[in-house]
Amino acid sequence: MWTLARKILLHDRVKFAVAAAGVSVSVLLVLVQIGLYFGFMQNASSLIDNAGADFWIAGEGNENFDFAGAIDERTYYRVAQIPGVERAERMLLAFGIFKLTNGGTQGVEVVGIERGATLMKPWHVVAGEAWRTREADGVVVDRTEFPKLLLKGVGDRSEVTGARARVVALTDGIRSFTTSPFLFTNLDSARAYTRLAASQFHYVLVKAAPGVDHAELLARLGRIPHAAAYDAATFSARTRSYWSERTGVGAGFFTTAMMGVIVGLVVVGQILYNGTLEHVREYGTLKAMGTKNRTIVGIILYQALISSVLGFVVGGGLAMAAREGMRAANLNVVLMPSLLAATGLLTVVMCMLASCLSIVKVLRLDPATVFKG
Amino acid sequence: MQPPVSASGFSAPGDRASLGKPAPLVELSRVGKIYGSGEGTVHALVDADLRVYAGEVLLIEGPSGSGKTTLLSILGLLLRPTTGEITVAGDRVTHLGEKALPAIRARNFGFIFQGFNLFEALTALENVALATKLKNASVSDPFGDAKRLLTMVGLGDRMHHTPGALSGGQKQRVAIARALGGSPRVILGDEPTAALDSKTGLAVMELLRALAKEENRAVVVVTHDHRLERFADRVVQVEDGMVQPAAEPNSTGSGP
Repeated sequence: MWTLARKILLHDRVKFAVAAAGVSVSVLLVLVQIGLYFGFMQNASSLIDNAGADFWIAGEGNENFDFAGAIDERTYYRVAQIPGVERAERMLLAFGIFKLTNGGTQGVEVVGIERGATLMKPWHVVAGEAWRTREADGVVVDRTEFPKLLLKGVGDRSEVTGARARVVALTDGIRSFTTSPFLFTNLDSARAYTRLAASQFHYVLVKAAPGVDHAELLARLGRIPHAAAYDAATFSARTRSYWSERTGVGAGFFTTAMMGVIVGLVVVGQILYNGTLEHVREYGTLKAMGTKNRTIVGIILYQALISSVLGFVVGGGLAMAAREGMRAANLNVVLMPSLLAATGLLTVVMCMLASCLSIVKVLRLDPATVFKG
Repeated sequence: MQPPVSASGFSAPGDRASLGKPAPLVELSRVGKIYGSGEGTVHALVDADLRVYAGEVLLIEGPSGSGKTTLLSILGLLLRPTTGEITVAGDRVTHLGEKALPAIRARNFGFIFQGFNLFEALTALENVALATKLKNASVSDPFGDAKRLLTMVGLGDRMHHTPGALSGGQKQRVAIARALGGSPRVILGDEPTAALDSKTGLAVMELLRALAKEENRAVVVVTHDHRLERFADRVVQVEDGMVQPAAEPNSTGSGP
């Protein structure tokens, strides 16, 4: 039975290749689009996810992580005095103008951290010494941003919003959602780069003391006037949610991914349906001979399964290749195992749905028609 | 040879002899078929009586649109009659639901067609083995059965060829072998020689007649070709939905 299904499907290799190509393109579109989405979302919350803070304190009513309203030293001291807080660090996150060697400028997202910070500091350091951000004009940039910043390596000098900057270390793979390169430096330099007042910054990062009940501490932090407190996981999700939902980015990616699914549905559906029409007399003959409907439906579903498996393997391979190619273009495509598994399942479901027309055709096929003409 | 009594309950030749009158494998009693309603009503078949016996070749003849195909479809349980009764192997089947009919068809009927209706993607052996397997899921060696059937119809040396590599006559022999899969007692053919040249067509009819006589099967063939009458034990004429009575056979075989 399965041999029959496979042979009928493979008999016309050109048509089968078209069907498999349709599924492959669909899988490629879905994986790349959703992988890109997850990549952007990973970038959106990367600072939060890679910080060692248990809680984040932001200004009241702050909606967007990257465009935060400033808070002042009073908030910082209030946080630091709350029982159960082991460590509190200030962090600044604002935009500055990086001067390029060719005379142009490039917007950068300045990350100001405490000298001797432990809760927020550059990670994935691949060259130089990140601790030197405590020096007056020391900055850390990501080497994948070199093309934007026209930098060559550690020791390069430039200006950010008119203030001097010197590259003291490089990271690899720390990229922002806004596409403006991150630039880590100390709080004072950061204020100079962003023209922020001396007592101002944007976040307080909090490490809870060992044994402290996090829920109770969060409640206490939440009572600080003119501030909002979040645990790290909630703050990360909130940040990703802002970019995904408020800006329509998520809808855009998923719309394209769904278009991929629709393309797959149409192509596979048409190929399977045409195949069924071409063999309708043979299927009618099988029914006349006493074959049950479920047997013939099984043949069609098996053909759909073959198309989906082959299409997924080819499409998945193409997506892997695309991920490497897009990495060179500084685009982060995240293809985690759960996404691959979900897409595999989606592909099978898509192909099964695509076979519905064929199944309906066969179920409605009157075996008496085999005697007509 | 087939066993004296099949699983479906067909009477064996010995039983008929003891009763003095053959028991029909299939019997239609006052069967009518109406298509459409109101002014568009078509009486495709009117009060048809017909008995089909083991070991006979029965030809159904008539002009186009006379009701031959409707009669054949009802005989093969592919079409439900509007009125009348159908008995298969002594059992009334008219009242049975749609789900019960495929199993009865699989046990009792084999079909051959003008256009062969073979799967082009499968070899002759696979086409026949598939039918054998589908009709009898418990068969232990469908390929072994298929080889035997293909050898029986003279295609022992062509069984690994796909239909595209076979002549029309060879394709029809594959279709006949396929129809024999599962050992049905009644073979129904719809113009099985129409797509063949006359020499090949006659050879196919010779094969069908041999199957009827040597395997004690009933062969019912719809045809326009009067030359095939010499292979028949009985000829039934159908005209305007009316089946002309045919003489009941006294014995199996009065053909060429």
